[in-house]
Amino acid sequence: MTSTKKRLKVHFTPDNVDITVPQGENLLKAALAAGVHINAACGGNGVCGTCKVLIKKGEVTGPRSEKISPEEYEQGYRLSCQSRIESDLSVEVPLESRLETAVLGREMGTAEAKTEETVATGWSFNPPLNKCYVEITPPTLKDNASDLSRLLRSLKRRCNLSNVSVDLDVVKDLSRVQRKKGGQVTVTTLVKAVKTKSDKRKPTIIKVESGNTSREHYSLAFDIGTTTICGQLLDLNRGRVVAESMAYNGQISYGADVITRIARSQQPGGLKKLQQAVVATINQIIDELVARSRIKVEHIGHMIVAGNTTMTHILLGLDPKYIRLSPYTPVANFLPPVRARSLGIGVGKHVHLFTFPCVASYVGGDIVSGVVGVGLHQSPKLTLYMDIGTNGEIVVGDSDWMITAACSAGPAFEGGGIKHGMIAAAGAIQDVTIDPVSLEPEVSTIGGEKPKGICGSGLINIIAALLEAGAIGQNGKFNTELKSQRIRRGGDGYEYLLSKESETQTGKDIVITEVDIDNLIRAKAAMYAGCRTLLSSVGISLSALEQVIIAGAFGSHIDIERSITIGLLPDIPRDRFIFVGNGSLTGARLTSFSTDLLDDARKVAIMMTNLELSERADFMDSYIAALFLPHTNAAEFPAAAKRLAGLKGSGPEGRPVL
Amino acid sequence: MTFEIPKTKYSGRIREITLGKGDKAITVGGESCYPFYLYEGEMPRLPRIAMEVYDCPPEEWAPAALEPFAGVTDDPVAWAKKCISDYGAEMICLQLISTDPNGLDRGAEEAAQVVKQVADAIDVPLIVWGTANHDKDSEVLRLVAEKCQDKRLVIGPVEEGDHKKIGASALAYQHTLVASSPIDINLGKQLNILLGNLGVSDELLIIDPTVSGIGYGIEYCYSVMERMRMAGLAQQDDKLQFPIICNVAKEVWKTKEVHIPTEEAPALGDAKKRGILMEAMSAMILLLAGGDVMIMRHPEAIRLVREMITELTAS
Repeated sequence: MTSTKKRLKVHFTPDNVDITVPQGENLLKAALAAGVHINAACGGNGVCGTCKVLIKKGEVTGPRSEKISPEEYEQGYRLSCQSRIESDLSVEVPLESRLETAVLGREMGTAEAKTEETVATGWSFNPPLNKCYVEITPPTLKDNASDLSRLLRSLKRRCNLSNVSVDLDVVKDLSRVQRKKGGQVTVTTLVKAVKTKSDKRKPTIIKVESGNTSREHYSLAFDIGTTTICGQLLDLNRGRVVAESMAYNGQISYGADVITRIARSQQPGGLKKLQQAVVATINQIIDELVARSRIKVEHIGHMIVAGNTTMTHILLGLDPKYIRLSPYTPVANFLPPVRARSLGIGVGKHVHLFTFPCVASYVGGDIVSGVVGVGLHQSPKLTLYMDIGTNGEIVVGDSDWMITAACSAGPAFEGGGIKHGMIAAAGAIQDVTIDPVSLEPEVSTIGGEKPKGICGSGLINIIAALLEAGAIGQNGKFNTELKSQRIRRGGDGYEYLLSKESETQTGKDIVITEVDIDNLIRAKAAMYAGCRTLLSSVGISLSALEQVIIAGAFGSHIDIERSITIGLLPDIPRDRFIFVGNGSLTGARLTSFSTDLLDDARKVAIMMTNLELSERADFMDSYIAALFLPHTNAAEFPAAAKRLAGLKGSGPEGRPVL
Repeated sequence: MTFEIPKTKYSGRIREITLGKGDKAITVGGESCYPFYLYEGEMPRLPRIAMEVYDCPPEEWAPAALEPFAGVTDDPVAWAKKCISDYGAEMICLQLISTDPNGLDRGAEEAAQVVKQVADAIDVPLIVWGTANHDKDSEVLRLVAEKCQDKRLVIGPVEEGDHKKIGASALAYQHTLVASSPIDINLGKQLNILLGNLGVSDELLIIDPTVSGIGYGIEYCYSVMERMRMAGLAQQDDKLQFPIICNVAKEVWKTKEVHIPTEEAPALGDAKKRGILMEAMSAMILLLAGGDVMIMRHPEAIRLVREMITELTAS
């Protein structure tokens, strides 16, 4: 029998995309092939339940998942990764299964801008990308030097630029461009990092345009996270952010963490798919930035990207295979600039993409960028820098030395792996207070919209509030004896009802489950245990720290007090904490503004010592000790423990508050 | 100048916990030094041994273990009495084997009835040990706590997953709880905190760190127990200042080595002696790690261990 499988048509909404596939094709694969992104945190193994879709018309077959409630099943909800297409289909991808872009439109001059004044100080404004308007004297019989020679001469005279090299692409077009507006041209040059201060910088001409476009001088800064990608469009004349946007990394459809992604990259064509997925997200963000700022994409001249080692590898199409295998070696830590267009990024062909140097397999350019961004390498103060994200990274040190460690915290802080988790965008629940007697919550969302999900900072606040209200115990389990309709049994065990279906954007209840709480406890335990282990490896106590700088994609806010209550941050004087928002993005931005910092990034990467936590016996011990709220050892959290003890017995009659 | 042996500085003391009630009640704990470090502190209460009784005829016991209890293994009351009268048991541990959902799955009512009969028949402290199945133990041990409300039983194992249900009922009737955690100092401490939060008084707690016998990872158990003692005695960790109970006999007597007949493995020596020695040596190791109560099976193994305790504490 020949395999003449029936061809079937699948229609996806709200994307309004059609694809024709053979009968029996996996629905998630079909969606990916059609360019429709569906979340699949587990990489399509049927365990996470994030790839839920609604079958509006047609038939699919596949095992029934416990992640789909009986009511949902009745309505037609299925896990796309477990569904085989059996007929023509009409499929709706619900809000919670979709990747989302969030244009924050944050007012600059808030939390992040503060960093530039207070933290990173030792830099001057001298972007690596430079635009220079020159008027070239037309050639005459007396002066018939080549077009290029005359351009270089003018550059030296007008812009004091010498020792310049030039791209062949530029030369190809030079004669035409030069003559278009009577010798009036704008020259874009770019410099790279130098190893020592005495090295002479050698600018490269990457573009020559006719006329004066020096007022249109923009670049892009990106933070490529495992879970979230953030981009900023920068005005290099004014040194400020024009627009900012973020979205979930399209690679999420191929797994939630770097290990799953690396595994995926080893399948045939896997690396290419992952590379295309991240580029698609970058392009989506660029479109968003360009549309919002009304700036022409051809006026963007440069791109700087901070990503962890795996993300950097995949973006550049390097095989990350050995990152995962002992003894854990990256292909390269210092990578040369590449043309962004060659990676599929939708910018001008002259645009070069710089990546931050990496330190080791699990200490990447994102942390180097963060260190540069907050100016840790210039600080005389003993500093702990924590980048709280999927790959939590910690640095201890000052301007003389630095030691760093990576601890895999999982995506919980970015809303990943959380039943109703989402990116820190409009509609995300970011704060909550819970009445200790009635257990009724009062939620507030980013942008004041109706709730749509819970973001990382919301999660921290919710768990702290539940703990303080006595709704959960120190082990993160619900106090099920309480008489409250808010605590109930759901599909994933006990859960707390935050917003009723009538109050939400999704039309469904928003809950936090015991599994979510467990995920966050694990994540915070990894971060805290990582800090403890790193500090003890260099013989420094928490109290000796002069400042603690916290970075993370938390939107604009992280509640220090509540982070201490749950044991994420150490219980030390509150005035030592500084929150800088997205540290990696800050570093990428500042480096776009300052060639000094570009050089510094190189130095920082070389200067950091990497500590492998997995090889430290005491890490696991610290981790288990931290799997408690706030911590097994109450003495490490005196203030939080005292407050919780003070709450004991203050609850409604007969309720043990903890 | 004479040489002085350096001494450990202790800042804490293990709590004294009284098991059972009446004349035969037993108090354990109170140590102010590491196990048997009598040159540094005191062990006012010697470690004690509880003898094991099953609530149903044991099916897979080695002949050596069955021999001393011939004729009583089908009657828990007679078995318990024999342990006390013939072998001088100071405590009895009734293992509720029959309630195992994967075995006989006997109901809570029937199990509680047996516990009541044994408790009524003896005057030494009674430890009641479930199957570590959270749902079943919650049901069985709660009923046991209620039916024997004036008996001051020792009830376990209480784990994180069932600590609220079992804890609450034991709390109501003032039984002692065995706080059981999976070989980890932090998890052990966390459970003690949770039980404290629930309102269980510190006077009603004894720790089960989960143990094994020789050849099956006892070094790991030793290390965890040792660290618990260090935390409690030298690091002022009041959540780890509790006596430790070790359910060791069951672990030893289920190993392959105690079941192989002499002729099949002559290199391992006499089968009967082998089991007894493995039990005795496992218990001794755990005593050296900080155990306060050993749950044991063979009278001869018990005799050996008692002898060692006497020798190590002789002044």
